Amino acid sequence: MLLSFQSFSAQVDNSKTSTVKIYGNCGMCESAIEKAGNVKKVATVEWNKDSKIATLTYDSVKTNQDEILRRIALAGYDSEHFFAPDEAYAKLPACCHYERAKAATHKDEAMANSTINKPEAGMHDHSAMTSQDKNQLKAVYEGYFSLKDALIKSDGSAASAKAKDLLAAINAVKMETLKPEEHTVWMKVKEDVTTDAEHITETKEVSHQRDHFTTLSKNMYQLIKVSKNDAPVYYQHCPMYNDGKGADWLSKESAIKNPYYGSQMLSCGKTVETIN
Amino acid sequence: MNRSQRIYKSIVLTVIIALFAVHISYGQKVVRYHLYVKDTMVNFTGKEKRAIAVNGQIPMPTLTFTEGDTAEIYVHNEMKENTSLHWHGVFLPNQEDGVPYLTQMPIEPGETYIYRFPIIQHGTHWYHSHSGLQEQLGMYGSMILNKRANDPTFRKGIDDLPTVPVVLSEWTDYNPNNVERMLHNASDWFAIKKGATQSYSEAIKAGHFKTKVKNEWKRMLAMDVSDVYYDRFLMNGKNQSTLSQLKTGEKVRLRISNGGASTNFWLTYAGGKITVVANDGNDVEPVEVDRLLIAVSETYDLVVSIPAENTAYEFLATPEDRTKSASLYVGSGTKQLISPLPRLKYFEGMKMMNGMMKMNGDLDDMGMNMSLNQMDMNVVMYPEITGEANKKDKGASGDQDEHANHSMPSMEDQYNSNKLSDIVTLNYAMLQSPENTTLPEGPVRELRFELTGNMNRYVWSLDNKVVSEADKILIRKGENVRIIMYNNSMMRHPMHLHGHDFRVLNGKGKNAPLKNIIDIMPMETDTLEFNANVYGDWFFHCHILYHMMSGMGRVIGYENQPKNPLIKNPRSAQRKLFSDDRHFHFMAENDFATNGNDGMLMFQNTRWSLGTEWRLGYNDMHGYETETHIGRYIGKMQWLMPFIGFDWRYRKMGIDEQEENLFGQSNTKDNRTQFSLGVAYTLPMLLILETEVFHDGNVRVQLMREDIPVTKRARMALMINSDKEYMVGLRYILAKNIGLRAHYDSDMGFGVGMNLNY
Ligand SMILES: [Cu+2]
Ligand SMILES: [Cu+2]
Repeated sequence: MLLSFQSFSAQVDNSKTSTVKIYGNCGMCESAIEKAGNVKKVATVEWNKDSKIATLTYDSVKTNQDEILRRIALAGYDSEHFFAPDEAYAKLPACCHYERAKAATHKDEAMANSTINKPEAGMHDHSAMTSQDKNQLKAVYEGYFSLKDALIKSDGSAASAKAKDLLAAINAVKMETLKPEEHTVWMKVKEDVTTDAEHITETKEVSHQRDHFTTLSKNMYQLIKVSKNDAPVYYQHCPMYNDGKGADWLSKESAIKNPYYGSQMLSCGKTVETIN
Repeated sequence: MNRSQRIYKSIVLTVIIALFAVHISYGQKVVRYHLYVKDTMVNFTGKEKRAIAVNGQIPMPTLTFTEGDTAEIYVHNEMKENTSLHWHGVFLPNQEDGVPYLTQMPIEPGETYIYRFPIIQHGTHWYHSHSGLQEQLGMYGSMILNKRANDPTFRKGIDDLPTVPVVLSEWTDYNPNNVERMLHNASDWFAIKKGATQSYSEAIKAGHFKTKVKNEWKRMLAMDVSDVYYDRFLMNGKNQSTLSQLKTGEKVRLRISNGGASTNFWLTYAGGKITVVANDGNDVEPVEVDRLLIAVSETYDLVVSIPAENTAYEFLATPEDRTKSASLYVGSGTKQLISPLPRLKYFEGMKMMNGMMKMNGDLDDMGMNMSLNQMDMNVVMYPEITGEANKKDKGASGDQDEHANHSMPSMEDQYNSNKLSDIVTLNYAMLQSPENTTLPEGPVRELRFELTGNMNRYVWSLDNKVVSEADKILIRKGENVRIIMYNNSMMRHPMHLHGHDFRVLNGKGKNAPLKNIIDIMPMETDTLEFNANVYGDWFFHCHILYHMMSGMGRVIGYENQPKNPLIKNPRSAQRKLFSDDRHFHFMAENDFATNGNDGMLMFQNTRWSLGTEWRLGYNDMHGYETETHIGRYIGKMQWLMPFIGFDWRYRKMGIDEQEENLFGQSNTKDNRTQFSLGVAYTLPMLLILETEVFHDGNVRVQLMREDIPVTKRARMALMINSDKEYMVGLRYILAKNIGLRAHYDSDMGFGVGMNLNY
């Protein structure tokens, strides 16, 4: 009994084994959980994605179960003993967004509601449909603005997520219901806008995202100029991006918050046009 | 957990004695504690190390009093060395203040010493040893002074909350004396351990090559926000612990003291906002924040709540260098973690320092009026405020300097963390006293201090004078003393005044907050004022232990004050007090190489340097050579060092047969004993230019640089002189005291070997 036990965990001294439930979904979760838990010669973690049970083998002189589970939680995975920080959970890839055991915060609930309610609204009622016509591009603009805000924070993963929303809004646009002027411009820019948004989703590297954001902004500008807006939109310019070639962006606020440099040069730039 | 703190050796017995010994007699309102100070072995990291435990524990026991009590504290010194205890932030007669050789003579081994003083205030305070480096070994503890129940300042919803004293600290497996020595010798071992070497190869990888060159051009060594590498960070002596007796919906008041010797901590909480209700033992109007930095020796009272069922929320203390952390879980159930603070962007910090540093070593605030921690230049290094480091991002960051001529956001806003992000960080301008704190009418005396120092030699001072070089500052009883401090050094310093609280002039008018420590960042100016109301010699010093020991402080005394009866021989006591910063630090190195032995030995203190270098071949042909210099460092930055020297050399026909130097002077190379006068000067790029005249009239000019950080662990050395000698070497650091070295020397040829240093 003793002999077989020792041969099983030959690489860990003073070995102790325990099993614990860790929440997760897929094969990617498995490698992330194990990577976070493992420490060479001190701890090994094996997680089963079907049973969600992890087997921890560790040197009981050098570490303990809580230290291992804490590291795994910091990587985004809840267990019986630790809840991951919300930011760590949010950063997990979409396929790893397992259902959390802990009560959702109010913020999460509000977001869930808003996404459920929308699609049903315009199905039958015509007046609702027209209001959705305006909203079609509005969702695109909102997607653009959130993407811009993520770039202001120089947050590559948030920008990628926001670009995904933007892409969904672009795909949801029914061209035939657009106003004629909007329709013309939409035909012209749709392909470029889609490509830029796709590229931004595909990377987390802010510099690459910003490259695409320059052309995305140009096309958005053309589109927004022919749209009816509830509130003024500001077309703003940073003279020094891209080795002095400059770049533009749209914002709902007149105050400058530069998405091309973020906090490094947050208030660099000026408003060149106010679009009503 | 159970493994984090094991104290052996008859501790159990001491605890039993202590249990009987702490008899608190409420009757006469004298509250008595017995403290048994004893050497002990602890095991925080898997290795047994020496520490000091009081009543068998680290931290020292929490002492609790109520305003109006009389404290009577018996200190039983069961160690083989002297000790003392200072009651930090507590108003008391000068001779109870616990500064050895200043307010009392030290408590000798075997002695029992009684501190006795009335408790005339309330609030969260702490106590620690003021002898040598004992604080680093475990001599810190909480001291809680409660309000009387009928106190008019009693605050419902705050003063009636459950209360938990928490003392923060850090642990190193290195002997603190060795830590101090390594700091003075500019060892970069701590930087290697922290991953903060900031070498050339790392700079290139991060797209910051020019930043690094400019930094060395301005004669700076790589800097970190803190100097020492620690193995563990602790809250009440533990790295992880839980306050499980608290229920959902409840609030708790954490009375936090930073007992760390040299660590500022960030405090964050997973269960929502933190409400600050007191600072340095004084009530403040409650203010809600997301995080705060508690400087060395400060205290903060924080209220946090437990928002959900079956969950314990992580209260996280992260050292400023963000290498590790300590956690306290508030509540019971599954532990909700908070995101750890991301690692610092060191090269952004270096770039910022380059911008602030003038060529003469002074700092340039570029017209920003910085004070009260409102602007934090370090935000450029904080990814959570200024975004992740973008490697080689076009236009952004890196070496490009074109931002300079670009329309910049206002300078102030660039460093104002609360304007740059939605995270609310506490600063001193947000603290307001609930009471009117105006000083009584009286004459005003103004004292100005410039905080000075240099990292390369680890000398820290006020107005470029250390304690032993300055006179006592005399003030007069009854007057109001106003202190204006400007930090012209590259590090932040928590300045602490004994025996008095001061008002911090922070824009809150009559309600300026009262404090006894103020953490002052580089380039900041802060103004404090206090009423001189208690006779005595009071220490005013930086509370970073290793800064204080290097002499960053002053003694403030009163004119015509009565003599302290405890100091029988003031002269010899003063000499002892001054010996802390006069003390010489020893350093030695030898390279055991195939072509000979290369080494040096050095004794240095604040101003003096005595060093010997040798090159010893294995045969007469390679020769033997030693050089000894005794020099004195001049100026604040200590770039200039005149010295007298003594050289001895013996050789039977070298490989290099050069007999004339560059100046055409002939050289008695093969058998030579010479005295010399010279001067060494540190040039930009940290090159040392040494010019030396020997007693036979020969002149030698030499240029050299050691320890060029090529990679994390590789260091290059260069030397060339007018005797047409030269040397190139490369050293790889294997461990704290061991390296591998390869070098080529014009006298001794090529060699590889093992480098040992101490
Ligand atoms: Cu203190
Ligand atoms: Cu200091």
